[in-house]
Amino acid sequence: MAESIIIKNLTKKFTFSVKNKSSGWVKNLFFPEKKEIIAVDDISFSVKEGERIAFIGPNGAGKSTTIKMLTGILFPTSGKMSVLGFDPTKDRKKLAYKIGTVFGQRSQLLPNLPVIDSFEFFGVMYDLTEKQIKSRVAELVELFDIEPFINQPVRKLSLGQRMRAEIAVSLIHKPKLILLDEPTIGLDVVAEKFLRDLLLKINKEEGTTIFLTSHDVGDIETLCDRTIIINNGTVIKDLPTKDLAKTFIIEKYIDLIPEEKFKDFPNLPDGLKYKIKNSNKITVTADINKISVQEAIKKLIDMFEVEDVDVYSADLETVIRHIYERDSTGK
Amino acid sequence: MKEIRLANKIVKTLVKDRMQYPGRLVLDTFSMIARCGVLLILYWYVFKLNNGLINGTTYIVVAWSMFFYFVFSIMRLREISRAIMQDVQTGNIEVLFCKPISYLKYKMLWQIGSGLYSFLFVAFFGTIILALMIGFPSTMAIGIFLPTLLLSFLGAIILSLILYSIVGLLAFWIEDINPIFWVVDKSVMILGGSYLPVALFPKFMYNLALYSPFGASQFITHTVYDSWKTDWLMLTGLQLFWIVVLGLAMYLIFLSARKKVSVNGG
Repeated sequence: MAESIIIKNLTKKFTFSVKNKSSGWVKNLFFPEKKEIIAVDDISFSVKEGERIAFIGPNGAGKSTTIKMLTGILFPTSGKMSVLGFDPTKDRKKLAYKIGTVFGQRSQLLPNLPVIDSFEFFGVMYDLTEKQIKSRVAELVELFDIEPFINQPVRKLSLGQRMRAEIAVSLIHKPKLILLDEPTIGLDVVAEKFLRDLLLKINKEEGTTIFLTSHDVGDIETLCDRTIIINNGTVIKDLPTKDLAKTFIIEKYIDLIPEEKFKDFPNLPDGLKYKIKNSNKITVTADINKISVQEAIKKLIDMFEVEDVDVYSADLETVIRHIYERDSTGK
Repeated sequence: MKEIRLANKIVKTLVKDRMQYPGRLVLDTFSMIARCGVLLILYWYVFKLNNGLINGTTYIVVAWSMFFYFVFSIMRLREISRAIMQDVQTGNIEVLFCKPISYLKYKMLWQIGSGLYSFLFVAFFGTIILALMIGFPSTMAIGIFLPTLLLSFLGAIILSLILYSIVGLLAFWIEDINPIFWVVDKSVMILGGSYLPVALFPKFMYNLALYSPFGASQFITHTVYDSWKTDWLMLTGLQLFWIVVLGLAMYLIFLSARKKVSVNGG
């Protein structure tokens, strides 16, 4: 399978002036002190055609900066990129014909006009014929269930409807790659699920490569088959999403349900910690580097009279939080 | 071909967009009446006090010259400066940089489309009303008037867009371009003949209006003067000169600005 994206040693530094309080205003005006921030620091990875990539990281990690370099908006300080065979810094316009972009916090639609006008407008922009526009609009309207509001002005749409229209419009030219920057931000759970299902559908039916940034674990879990984690500008993990939890689980949770009611809460052995303790339920966190699950259960059953025991792993959100925290504290 | 089709689509879409707001048209019409109408009345009175002739120019010529200035201003081409500044400040520029278009060309067409509907409406009815009230000066009856008016109008659109785009692009460096916009805009207004028609300028100011890009962007106001039939070629050449020079400057500034893009990331 061919590569959609190839990034090699990509770095982006931002330089800005800062006021030096000990210097005079003339020096500050003409020779200001410069400060440099490394937003993306020597990252390398590649994405195959048809893959669904989650590009995640905490705020300020370098996700959006990377996406903006991939689309040709920002120029890298150093390193090389190839997106669908184009260099975004030199072939921005040619590349734009092949990719779709959705920025969750910005709109590309024409706010005062009905949704259909945005489809036609961007169809012409992507140099489609009237016939191609008509047939593609019909496909997208059906796929995204836009018919009920296609003649409504964009500014009167709900956020969920608008995001559906945003994504549909970004697909008007059948892009081979779609880059989404937090596409589900602010959506309710129903609208989120609807969008995820649609993205999966276009990935399966049209073979579109999906590259998204998100803070929403649901997006990552249900949509992406591979996750790249970036923090402080560097890629800290790149692995299949299904292995994410397995690789990083350092804790197990053990729920204990009492035969009657818990009365005493004695000190726990090393490696075990109370997470919840009340008369109806105890939840214990087991650090599996210190104590095995089997040993932990044995010790807990000796300590408490229990009717039922449930053992489970941390959810993906907790795992990701651990990764971010561990990386930022360097532990 | 693609460029023409896209230009046509942008302008048509924007005209449709503006037609959704008839209130805006009413506002534009009243603003024209308020600004231009009051000045025309004042000048009518001043000319009357001077037996109908000032600096060898009649009221009817001055009135049409001012009318051209104000009708042209209805297109609001100057707003391209603020539109670019807003794109830079809000980071919205990234949406357009992802599209297969030239950012500046798109913004220029967008600006033309935004003002075209009001412009056509006010120009059509304003011309009829002014013609009925004061008639046409003899300079508008000569053969070259209409073609050179159109040429000068086209030059005025291109030069104004370039001039104000340069101001807008400065937002990549200084973010708030309002002080510079104010200076440039007032220069265009004064040297374009919005307060005092160019025909009544003292020699020094007249030369400034003639040879500066600010005045050149409003040469449309010269088309009714007696001197137009002999000077039109030189004035159109001057306009073309500024279009080439400032167009090149705008292109170079834009190339540099592209590398200054710094939209909020994460």
